[in-house]
Amino acid sequence: MSSTEQGTSSAAPAEPTTAPESAAAPEVPESFYYVHGKDKVVHKVSAGALQHSALIHGMISNLGYTEEQAKANPFPFENIDGDILQMVVDWCNQHKGKPTPPEDTNLPKQKEKLFDLVLAVNYLEIKELLTYCCKQVAMMVKGKSPEEIREIWMIPTDAEDEAAEKEAKKRAGKEAAGETAAAAGDAK
Amino acid sequence: MPIALLNFPTDLLGEVFRLCDPFDLYKLSKCSKRARKSIKLGNTKSWKITFSFQNDMNIWVDRYRNYYFKKTENPEDYFKREHMEYMYVQFPDGGALDFSIDLIETFGIRIVGTLSFPSDIFDNFSNVVTALTDRNMEIEEVQIGGTEAGQDVFNFMPLMNQMNTIQDFRCFPKFPSNFHHLFDKYPNNINIHFSSWFTIDQLLDCTSVHITLFRSTLNNQDLNMFLQKWKKAGTFPNLRSLIILHTETIDNQSRILDMVPPIKIADNPRIRVSMKDRDSIVDPVQVKKDDGTVGWLVVEDHREHDGSLEFLM
Repeated sequence: MSSTEQGTSSAAPAEPTTAPESAAAPEVPESFYYVHGKDKVVHKVSAGALQHSALIHGMISNLGYTEEQAKANPFPFENIDGDILQMVVDWCNQHKGKPTPPEDTNLPKQKEKLFDLVLAVNYLEIKELLTYCCKQVAMMVKGKSPEEIREIWMIPTDAEDEAAEKEAKKRAGKEAAGETAAAAGDAK
Repeated sequence: MPIALLNFPTDLLGEVFRLCDPFDLYKLSKCSKRARKSIKLGNTKSWKITFSFQNDMNIWVDRYRNYYFKKTENPEDYFKREHMEYMYVQFPDGGALDFSIDLIETFGIRIVGTLSFPSDIFDNFSNVVTALTDRNMEIEEVQIGGTEAGQDVFNFMPLMNQMNTIQDFRCFPKFPSNFHHLFDKYPNNINIHFSSWFTIDQLLDCTSVHITLFRSTLNNQDLNMFLQKWKKAGTFPNLRSLIILHTETIDNQSRILDMVPPIKIADNPRIRVSMKDRDSIVDPVQVKKDDGTVGWLVVEDHREHDGSLEFLM
């Protein structure tokens, strides 16, 4: 049941007040980490931006590094080219603390790097960027003929696949023979 | 700039394929055997196919996205798209069936959404049944079209028992009076437009959820026998509706559950009992099973109205 309470006070209407600055919650300084790729160029990235990467987020979540410690211990990603890592870092910075839009206009545009970018993003477990990249790969063949698809996605013909398979078998055979010979040499 | 797609790790390849539509993947399948083999990574096994045996085949990616492969004889039109949902393709020499098998194998499809036979295209029905049963395909709906069942349809019905039909069976043609067919396993929903061959023995044995029979020859005694059995606890555990329409064999000469047709209540205000997304009936009589389950029954005598029995649970 609702009720109406009648007041008797004749106080002046409340005015909006500004809290004194000293009462505001102290701002937590943003922490930064450092990463480098194959080229050893170190990138300083905020923890907020790195949250996009499930891999790095998992690595840093319990570290409690000071600024100096973080600087002294950059995360090495030797399997990622420097320019690719730069693209990934840029994307993470642009999307720091923001929900990712359904269509991302900030995607790296260099298609020649797309293959390496997809592999890097997959390795770093950046789910949204991976979906965007894969979508870009899928869109490359939209409405194309099988011949055009073969060219764009570099699909080898059956004959090329067979030749490559034969070659791989031959190589494997040679390697196995070499190992057997080496083992026989060791035994002597 | 080209990209060596097949060098992607398999999980990434699957991710890319999941973002492609059936037309792009079908075209990819024409590039090489390895490309064709890899397509299933795109979760295409969950797609459904519709067999209509006309000049197009339909793939359902999900409930809202359908893709039609349309037959063309003109090589210039191969792989051309019309709107978003249509693409022209060359059918192989074996026609629609061989093309369907190609789609099923390319995409690894396990479910036939609808298997629709127009009654005049029954030439290769046994091949269809063999193709589907060999692959252990699940068939959600079988539809037999046309108005008069020819010998081909007549021969087809026994083969239907070999197929794994789980949801709907819709049958439109009229069969000769000597036709009999027994279901080995009843689909969830049965809808038969000339149902004189669906006998009381089958009705008593039926495990379907919804049964709709047009022009049935079941009479008052049959329906009384059915309802007496229904009243016993534990019988017809799946049944939610029995609808019999346009029948000339329900009369006012004998009782159904101790009531002479027409069976309905005449009180005011009138009441309507409806089932979600399905039938509704007006002024039904309440009947109860021994276990307390309630059913609602309306019966019309064919001499007064269009003969019918509608029974909802």
